[in-house]
Amino acid sequence: MKNLHLKIILMALLGLFLTGCATRSGLYQWGGYDAMLYQSYKNPEKAVEFRQGLELHVAKMEAANQKVAPGLYAELGTLYLQAGDGTKAVAMYTKEREAWPESRGLMDSLINNVAKRNTAKAEVKS
Amino acid sequence: MKYLNLMVCLLTVVLTGCASAPAAKKDLSAFNTAAPRSILVVPAINKSLDVDAPNYLLSTLTVPLAEKGFYVFPVNTAKFVLEQEGFYEGEQIHQQPPETLAHLFGADAVLYVTIQRWDAKYALITTTVTVEFDYRMVAKDGTEIWKATQSMQYSPQNNNSSGNPLVDLIATAISAAITRAAPNYLPLTQQANQVVFVLGPNAIPNGPYRKAQQ
Repeated sequence: MKNLHLKIILMALLGLFLTGCATRSGLYQWGGYDAMLYQSYKNPEKAVEFRQGLELHVAKMEAANQKVAPGLYAELGTLYLQAGDGTKAVAMYTKEREAWPESRGLMDSLINNVAKRNTAKAEVKS
Repeated sequence: MKYLNLMVCLLTVVLTGCASAPAAKKDLSAFNTAAPRSILVVPAINKSLDVDAPNYLLSTLTVPLAEKGFYVFPVNTAKFVLEQEGFYEGEQIHQQPPETLAHLFGADAVLYVTIQRWDAKYALITTTVTVEFDYRMVAKDGTEIWKATQSMQYSPQNNNSSGNPLVDLIATAISAAITRAAPNYLPLTQQANQVVFVLGPNAIPNGPYRKAQQ
């Protein structure tokens, strides 16, 4: 029995060795962001799945009080914007702005642009 | 006891393995002087025949750079913003002054990638898939702070020979047919990025969020 435990630990260590150097310790959880983005480029109809996938991931991170990886709020915001939902887009851009100070310049101009669009009642091309 | 010894041995390998002796490093003083916190990744110039290559490549660049400790501007949002400004093609975007792009996004540095190769060469029974990228990073003041070229190649090898030449031939033909139908460039692209940003001798220094972790 004790040997079995050691064996398991040994296997785990071996796994760590084989993957450890390549991935290092991750700073963030991405929730499949890159794969979903790839799929949405491959097949634009997958944009809906991309949006839903990001929504789920962001909700999970927030519920666990974990920092959302850089850019994910904004990407979700842009997907909302492209789907015609300026209000949700601004909410996401605002979260990105608060989470990542580096994003402030871009987020401010995106938020201003949505406000302008809304006052002009322009249709958002998806 | 036997296992315990083995485990200690392995643990030592794990703990020291990553800190192996660095190869001859290139001069990173320009990068360190600029000390960027944020990187804008713009759509790539495509010199391959695959029109989808720039988008696919774009989807692979965020994670390794962000995990390296930088704020990476959301690539799809950046692409959207550039399109709103009338910039659709990599060529067009790469021709803009880097200072202008950096200013537009509030970025400390801009990463430009040119796709040199993204192809599958079909031989009689095997297929060789190749990607090759030129990477170039420019600071917001227009100074080039880092550049590298990386290629990756994959050709399915028939390593597990069955001892029967005909069976081996069929197995190889099947694997070539699968690759031919849908050559998968993503793993190769991810490997190229990993080597060039993280593992290779010319890897970029850690960014502020990775440094804060250490």
